[in-house]
Amino acid sequence: MANHTTVDYKKERGNYYKVLFGLLALTALTFIQPSMFLTHYTFGMQMLIGTLKAWIILMYYMHLKGEVLIGWTVVFAVFLVLFFFVIVMIDVNNFQFADVSHITSPAQ
Amino acid sequence: MAHDSHEYIPEIAVDRNGNEHVVQGWQGDNYGGKLGFWLFMLTEVMMFGAMFMVLTYYFTLHHADFIKASSELDRTLGGINTVVLLISALTMGLGLLKMRSGDVKGAKLMIWATMLLAVIFLGVKALEWTNDYKEGIFLGLQGLQSGNEFSKPFGEILFFGMYFTMTGLHGFHIIIGIGLMLWLLKRINSGKVTPEHNILHFNIALYWDLVHLIWVFVFPYFYMTGAGAIHG
Repeated sequence: MANHTTVDYKKERGNYYKVLFGLLALTALTFIQPSMFLTHYTFGMQMLIGTLKAWIILMYYMHLKGEVLIGWTVVFAVFLVLFFFVIVMIDVNNFQFADVSHITSPAQ
Repeated sequence: MAHDSHEYIPEIAVDRNGNEHVVQGWQGDNYGGKLGFWLFMLTEVMMFGAMFMVLTYYFTLHHADFIKASSELDRTLGGINTVVLLISALTMGLGLLKMRSGDVKGAKLMIWATMLLAVIFLGVKALEWTNDYKEGIFLGLQGLQSGNEFSKPFGEILFFGMYFTMTGLHGFHIIIGIGLMLWLLKRINSGKVTPEHNILHFNIALYWDLVHLIWVFVFPYFYMTGAGAIHG
C-alpha cells in the first residue's frame, strides 16, 4: 500500500511560511524578553516561549494535528518524563547526604 | 527473491481452505512506519529529558553560578544557529511537500539546502567552541576542573559540563541528520523513494524536526537564562 496522499503544494507551502513567521516572531520574543518585560521571571518566560514554539513545531511541522494515537503516545512519553522529573525533584530536596555530597556541598 | 526495483511484490498467505490472502508488507505500511519512528523519537525525548532533569537539579543548587556562566555564552552565535535551524526545518518540510506533490527534483534541491544549513550550523558551533577554548572554557582545561588556581566556581563547572555535553550530543544528532539526508538522496536517485512511497522521506523530516525541537529548549536554557539585568 503506497502513500497515495496527494498535496496541493502551493496551499501547503503557504501554511509552512505562516508557521515559519510565527516561530521567528517567538524567537525574537526570546531575545527581547529578558530586557523588556517580566524580567524577574526570565527563566520561566523563556521556558514558556520554548514550550509554545515546541507545540507549534509538533502540531504543524511534525503533523501531529489530527493524529490521535500518535498524539496520545507523545502525551504519555512527556507525562512519563515529567513524572520522573517531579519524583527526582522531591527526592533531591530531601537528600540525606546533602552536607557531605561533593555536588551539593562542594569544597571551596 | 532478490529484485532491484522498488516494485512492491506482496506475500501471499494461504488459509486451511486454500484461499489466498495478501500479507501486508512493512514497505507499504505508511502508518506503521510513522508510528514506529515516533516510538524511536520518544526514546530520544526521554534521553534529553533526563539531561534536562539533571540540569534543572544543578540549577536549583547553584543558581547564581548558572546565571553567571550563562551570561558568558555568545548569544549572537547561539541566536544565529537558532535561526539557521529554524529555516532548515522549513526547507526540510518544503522538500517533503515537493516530493508528495510529485516534484522530485525540487525535493532533492530542498534536501541539499537543508544539508547546507546543517553544515552552517556545525560551522557556527565550531566557531563558538573555538572561542570558548581560547577563553579557557572547554572540557579538560584547568578552568573547568576543581582544585586549582584557575578553577571556576563549582556551579559554573557543572553548567559548562552540561553545556558541552548537551550541545555536543545535539551536534552529533545534526551530523547523523546529514548522513540520513545523504542516504535519502541515494534512495531517491535509485527510485526507492518516490512521490508514492515517501515514508523514509517523511520520517527523516520528522527526525530533523526533532533535532530542531531539542534546540528550542537547549538554546534558552543555556544562552538566555543569564540574559537581562534581573533573572528569575
